[in-house]
Amino acid sequence: MTSDKKPVLALFYCQNTHASGEDERQALEQKYGDSLKLFPIPCSGRLEPLHLLKALEDFADAGYVITCPEGACRYFEGNLRAKKRVERTREMIKSIGLEEERIGFLINSKEGPKPLTDLADEIMDRLANLPPSPVLGPSVQGRATGSRQRSKGDKV
Amino acid sequence: MPSKYMIHTKQTPHRFKAVTESGIIAWEEGCLKCAVCVKKGCVYGVYEDRGLDTRQMMDSIDNQCMNCLRCVQGCPKELIHKSVNPEYKAIGDSYWTPDIVAKLWYQAETGKIPVSGAGYPGPFSGPGFDSMWTDMSEIVRPTRDGIHGREYISTAIDLGKTPNHLTFNENGDLERDLHPLIDIPLPIIMRNPDFGSLSEETLKGWAMAARGLGTFMALPGNMITEALEDFRSSLMPLIGPGPQEIDKGNGAIRLLEVPWSEGWEKAVDMARQQSSSAQVSIRLPLHEGVEKKVISLVASGISIIHLEATPHGRATDHASLFLKDGIRSVHQALVEEGIRDGMTLLASGGLSMAEHVAKSIICGADGVMVDFPILIALECRMCRRCTKGLSCPVEIEAAPSSWVASRVINLVGAWQNQLLEMMGAMGIRDVRRLRGEVGRAMFFEELDRTTFESMGKVEEGCELE
Repeated sequence: MTSDKKPVLALFYCQNTHASGEDERQALEQKYGDSLKLFPIPCSGRLEPLHLLKALEDFADAGYVITCPEGACRYFEGNLRAKKRVERTREMIKSIGLEEERIGFLINSKEGPKPLTDLADEIMDRLANLPPSPVLGPSVQGRATGSRQRSKGDKV
Repeated sequence: MPSKYMIHTKQTPHRFKAVTESGIIAWEEGCLKCAVCVKKGCVYGVYEDRGLDTRQMMDSIDNQCMNCLRCVQGCPKELIHKSVNPEYKAIGDSYWTPDIVAKLWYQAETGKIPVSGAGYPGPFSGPGFDSMWTDMSEIVRPTRDGIHGREYISTAIDLGKTPNHLTFNENGDLERDLHPLIDIPLPIIMRNPDFGSLSEETLKGWAMAARGLGTFMALPGNMITEALEDFRSSLMPLIGPGPQEIDKGNGAIRLLEVPWSEGWEKAVDMARQQSSSAQVSIRLPLHEGVEKKVISLVASGISIIHLEATPHGRATDHASLFLKDGIRSVHQALVEEGIRDGMTLLASGGLSMAEHVAKSIICGADGVMVDFPILIALECRMCRRCTKGLSCPVEIEAAPSSWVASRVINLVGAWQNQLLEMMGAMGIRDVRRLRGEVGRAMFFEELDRTTFESMGKVEEGCELE
């Protein structure tokens, strides 16, 4: 990956969060192109560290999660679980010498919920100066190979 | 008797993981570590061999889960949930629903009729084709050895003008038919969809499928490149409004289509000059009062008319006029004029399920032209990203032509099987006899009227849901 290339972000977001429909998704894809990969998930509690780590391993420079406000999860505590998992994943990548900022989460506000597009802009701004991930190396392309990989025993 | 027409299907897997209707949300924290975990008890072994497809972040458990909900109900700490997959909900639109798209994917993958299990979960009435019920009376007396047995059910149709009578010369020999007919073994012609992330390989795959099936692939004349040279006899060029060279290559074009316009005679003359051997079809958008145009076209010697509805199966000017009603009134008008057999009526737009083929024919069409299903067979999600210049999530343009052909043959094979099943159930042995057989169907609007009209009108706002 060349140094002038923009960092690639894998962004997971809860489908129940404010203004996160297909229209917003396509608008973001149009705006950021290949540097943003969006993955809607049924609940942020569905996310496991594996998702973030696999994204970092395969194609992304950073992996972020957008969750619903605290107390507003449709599955009661999915967002709390997601938060803990993201924190744990941050520790994991830190312990192997990667920058902490490569993993993160954003909680949508309860009082003034922002649409997905604004939140994604916020994260993209935050990552503007992030150096390319050393995990991907110079030869890895911006896309995942998509081969199904076994993850048995890899679970949380 | 000609040899039996069979479509040979073969399992052709998806290139990408199919989007599933629901997803499992399984939380690990708070797990009681039961000696016999519900996950171990999964009869499908979903939790045993989990994998993650990073290209789409799809967990293998979702693709393998059969929705028995045993794990959801069995977990003592209620750590497992099932939720609707947001990706699934985003497929298609109000007409091309996720369920329709997913069923088309299944048929393209397996070549088999989708079976939903016990009972019928679909609608009993609704707009468009959903308000038609077909006759299944003969299902109590199935054919002696099944639909595919010795009894031959023909799905072949003729394109062109069938003669009213035969003429013989002095020697008693049959005089040559002045109107050549094109025989296709099934009442389905494939047609290039309005959008799609297509490449030359895709078009070649469709052309290969059309040749394999013995039908036609309709596509704009300027899309016929050198790669498609070998398939010319299975192609149906759609002529644009301007002057176009169509017959530049070798191998004859047998069928072509001209759009209706005020000066259609000129366009047809030009097309005939360039390709004298080809039959010409005129594409007429479905609108209020289209019957008159059809009658005048037939009177002027046009033998194939293609009635085109919007992709949602409606008229271009009236959203309340459905394709099925349009076909019925055109057919009826032609019958009243006594010229129905002098032409072939093709219908297109919003044909999304196998039953729509049979229902269109019952309403009076001879055959149908199918567009989006042949794209959905290639895993299209009807997301319309390609129309906005975004990349295709399933990279249709990169699919090899052999895979494309195989998927489309599977889909059409499954549709033909369903047509055979329906005709078998109706006791009809030739699809040409099914045309206009409205007695083989019941129409909700008519039943509603005949049953309840005498009881007075329902005031507005007081209708039953």
